[in-house]
Amino acid sequence: MTAATINRLGLALVALLTVAAPWLLPLVVDEFWVDIYSEMLIWSLLAASVNLLFGYVGLLSFGQALFFGMGMYGVAIGVAKLGLGFWPAFGLGVLLATVMALIAGALAVRLTWHYFAIITVVFSLIFYFAALSWKPLTGGDDGLSFSMPPIVSLGDWELSLTDPTVQYYFIIAMVGICYVLLGVILKSPLGWAFRTVRENATRASLIGLNVYLIRLTAFVIAGFIAGTAGALFAFFGRYASASYMFYHVSGEAVVWAIIGGAGTLLGPVIGTSLLIVLREELSHIWEHYQILVGVIVILVVIFAPKGLGGLWHALVNRIARPETPDPVAGDKREDQP
Amino acid sequence: MELVIALGMNGIVWGLIIALIALGLSIIFGLLDIINIAHGDFFMVGTVMAWFVFDATGNYWLAFAIVPIVGFALGALIEYTVIQPIKNAAALSIVATFGLSIILQEGVRATFGATPARLTAPIEGTVLLFGLEYEIYRLFAALLSIAAICCFFLFLHRTKLGTWMRAVRFDPETATAMGIPARRVYMVTFAIGFAMAALGGVVAGPITTVDFQAGVDILPFCFMAVIIGGLGNMEGTVAAAVMLAFFEGVMASFTDPTLARIGSLCLMSVVLLVRPHGIFSGATR
Amino acid sequence: MTATPILEIDGVEKHFGGLAALGGVHATVDSGKLTAVIGPNGAGKTTLFNVITGILNPSAGSIRFMGKDITNSSVHEISRLGLARTLQIKSVFHGMTVRENLWIAAQSRQGIFRPFTSMKACRVANERADALLEELQLTHLASQEAVNLSYGDVALLEIGIALATEPKLLLLDEPICGMGPAETERTVEKIRELSKRIDIVIIEHDIEVVFDISDDIIVMALGTVLARGTPAEISENADVRAAYLGDDDA
Repeated sequence: MTAATINRLGLALVALLTVAAPWLLPLVVDEFWVDIYSEMLIWSLLAASVNLLFGYVGLLSFGQALFFGMGMYGVAIGVAKLGLGFWPAFGLGVLLATVMALIAGALAVRLTWHYFAIITVVFSLIFYFAALSWKPLTGGDDGLSFSMPPIVSLGDWELSLTDPTVQYYFIIAMVGICYVLLGVILKSPLGWAFRTVRENATRASLIGLNVYLIRLTAFVIAGFIAGTAGALFAFFGRYASASYMFYHVSGEAVVWAIIGGAGTLLGPVIGTSLLIVLREELSHIWEHYQILVGVIVILVVIFAPKGLGGLWHALVNRIARPETPDPVAGDKREDQP
Repeated sequence: MELVIALGMNGIVWGLIIALIALGLSIIFGLLDIINIAHGDFFMVGTVMAWFVFDATGNYWLAFAIVPIVGFALGALIEYTVIQPIKNAAALSIVATFGLSIILQEGVRATFGATPARLTAPIEGTVLLFGLEYEIYRLFAALLSIAAICCFFLFLHRTKLGTWMRAVRFDPETATAMGIPARRVYMVTFAIGFAMAALGGVVAGPITTVDFQAGVDILPFCFMAVIIGGLGNMEGTVAAAVMLAFFEGVMASFTDPTLARIGSLCLMSVVLLVRPHGIFSGATR
Repeated sequence: MTATPILEIDGVEKHFGGLAALGGVHATVDSGKLTAVIGPNGAGKTTLFNVITGILNPSAGSIRFMGKDITNSSVHEISRLGLARTLQIKSVFHGMTVRENLWIAAQSRQGIFRPFTSMKACRVANERADALLEELQLTHLASQEAVNLSYGDVALLEIGIALATEPKLLLLDEPICGMGPAETERTVEKIRELSKRIDIVIIEHDIEVVFDISDDIIVMALGTVLARGTPAEISENADVRAAYLGDDDA
C-alpha cells in the first residue's frame, strides 16, 4: 500500500467510527462520552483555524478565540436578544466572526511573526474586555444563555438540538463540512499559495503572488472556521460567555494544533482529542493533571516539533511501499489527511 | 480630587514595579528572540515564594534577598531544560513558554493552593503626601523598584557580562566569533529575566494578592509596556510602564477600570501598526 | 538589429539614512541582448536589482519596463508584467518538492484565487512544470523536497521558478557564485541558451564568464554607472581599467 492509501483508509475508518459513535461509544464507555466527542470536534475546529494560519501560512495567531467568541455571541445575541431563529442566528454568528476577521486581518497581516502574534492577542483582549463591560448586551461575567430554537419546524413536527442524537449529527455534519472545505482549499492553487508564503514570502512575491492578500484570505477563512466552531459551541452549551474569548483559550487552541501537528489537515483533531481525553480522564484521578499537560506540550515542542500528525506520517511513510513515480503526484505528502 | 491623586500615585508605584518585571521580559525578547508567555507567572512565582519565606521565617525582608536568587536559579534551570533545546526553532518558543505557564500555575495551585492570600507589608503606617495619607510601604516599593532598575542599567552598561549581553543581542555571530560564550550569556539573560520578575513579585506582594492566577493579569500589561516602549528599548519600556500605569490609574478614577484597560490596548495596537519599534524610536518603519 | 530598450533606468537614487547606495543611475537594457552588470563590492548592483524589482523603493528617479512606469509598483505587480529574478542567496520554497516549486510559479500566471480547483486539474501549470523539469533535467528530482537538493540544483531550480513565470526579462544575481567548475559550466551554458529567447541581465563577479557570454556590459562603481559598452569597448576603457580591471591587467 502506498502512504496515500493508508491515509485514506485511516480517514475512512475515523469517519465511520464518528458516524457510528452514538451507538458504539455507550457500548464501551459512559454515554456522556458522546457529548464529549462532539465537544472535541467543535474545539478541533478552533485548533484547525490556528493550524491553517500557522501550519500553512506561517502566521502564529494567538487570538483565534476572538472569532470563536464572535461566533458564540452572534448566536446567543441573535436568539436571546433579537429573537432570531436557528439558522439566522447561526448565520449571524459565522458572519460576525468572518467580518471581524476581515477587519482585524486587514490590519494584523501587515505584521509578521512576533508582532503578528502579539497584535492578535491584543485584538482578542480588547474585545474580551469589551464583552466583559458591555453587560446589557453580553451579560458580562455571567454570560448570556438562551433557549434552543428548533432547526426546522413543520406544523407539529420539530427537529431540534434538544434531541441529543440530532445534536450529535448536526455537529458532526457541520464540522465535517468545514474539514472538507479546508481539505479542498488546501489542495487548490490557493492552498499552495498559502504554503509558498509560509516557506518564503519574498520568493512568493517575486513569482507574482500578492502576499498580503494571500495572508488576509487565510486569516478570513480561519476566522470563518473559528466562528463556526464558536457558533456550534454556543448551541452546544446554550450560552455564550466572554471567558471563551480570553487569550488562554487561544493559547489552548495553539497547543492543540501544535501537539496534533501543524501543517497536517487532521492534526488539530488528534491534538484536541488527545488533550480533552486527558482532561476528562486525568482530572478525576489527579486534580493537578494540568502540570502533565504542560510537560507534554514542552516535550512535544522539543522532541516532535511536527506533532503527532508528523509522527504518524513518518510512521506511515516507513511502512508504506514507496510510491511509483507519477508525474502528477505532487501532493502525496504530509499535507494529506 | 484626592481619589485622583491617590490612584495616580498608585499607578506610578505600580508602573515602576511593572517596569521592573517588563525589563525582564524585554531582555529575554531582545536577546533570545523569545516571546515569554510565562513571564507573568515568573512574577506570580515571586509573590508565592515571598509568601513561603514569610510563612517560614516570619520575616518579609528575607524574601527580598532570597527570592531573586531562587528565581535566578529557576530561570537558569528553565533556560537549560526548555529554552536551549528549541533555540533553533524560535517559532515554537511561544508554545513552549505557554506550556511552562501552565506548569507554573498548576504547580503553584498544587502547593500553595487556589485561595488567594494577602501579605502584610513589612513597613506599616502612612505619611502625609500631597494632603493625603499615603502608605509608606508603597513609597518604599517605588524606591526599591527604581533602585533595582538603576542597578539593572548599571549592570548592562558597566559590567563585562552586560556588555556581552548587548553584544550578543546586536550580532550573535560576530559576538561568538569574538569569543563571547553566547550560550552562557543566553542562560544568564533568561535567569536575570526570571529574577527581575520574581523580585517584582516580592516588591508587589504586600500591595496585591498572592494568587496562582496573578500572572495572567500582569502579562498583558508587561507586553504593553514592552511594545509601546519599543521591543528591546529598555529605557522606553520603563517610561511606557510608568506612563501606562499612571494613565490607567487616573482613568480608573473617572471611569470603569476595564475601559481604561481597553484604552491602553487600543493605544498598543496603534503603536504596533504605526511604529512597531515603539513610540520612542526615532524613525517609523 | 535596432535595439529597443526593455528596461530604462533614469536617475535612480537610493539612500539608506544618510548613505547613498545608488547615486543617480542612468542605464538602459536593450532587448535581444544579454547584459552584464559588473563592479566591485558595494557598487550598488544588488541594490539596483532590488529597486528594479520593487523590493526597495527608489528615493528618486524612475524605472520603465517595456515602456511602462514601474517605479513605485509592488514586487508582485512587477513580476506579473514579466520581470523575473533570482537572488544572490538562492531563494526557493524549501519545504516543497521541486515539482511543486515549479508548479506554483507556473500557476501564479493562471491565478491562484481558485479555492475549489484541485492542483491536478490545473492543466496549464502541470504541463509547464513538467516541461521545465524536462528542460532543466530535474525530472529525477521532481518529488524531492528542495531542502534536500545540492547547491547547484537549487540554483537551477531557482532559475526554473523564474522561467515558470514566463518572463520577458530575467535578472540573475550572481548565478554561479559558490559553484564548482562542472556546475558553473552547466549553468553558464543554460544562461547562454536562455539568452536566445529571453532578455537577461546578470550580475556576475567572474569576469571571464562575463566577457564570454554578454553582449553588453554595464560597469558600476560607488552607486553610479562608470561605463557601458560591448565587452571589447569595456576592456579598452581606461576608466574601467583603472578602477576595476586594473589589478588584473597591470
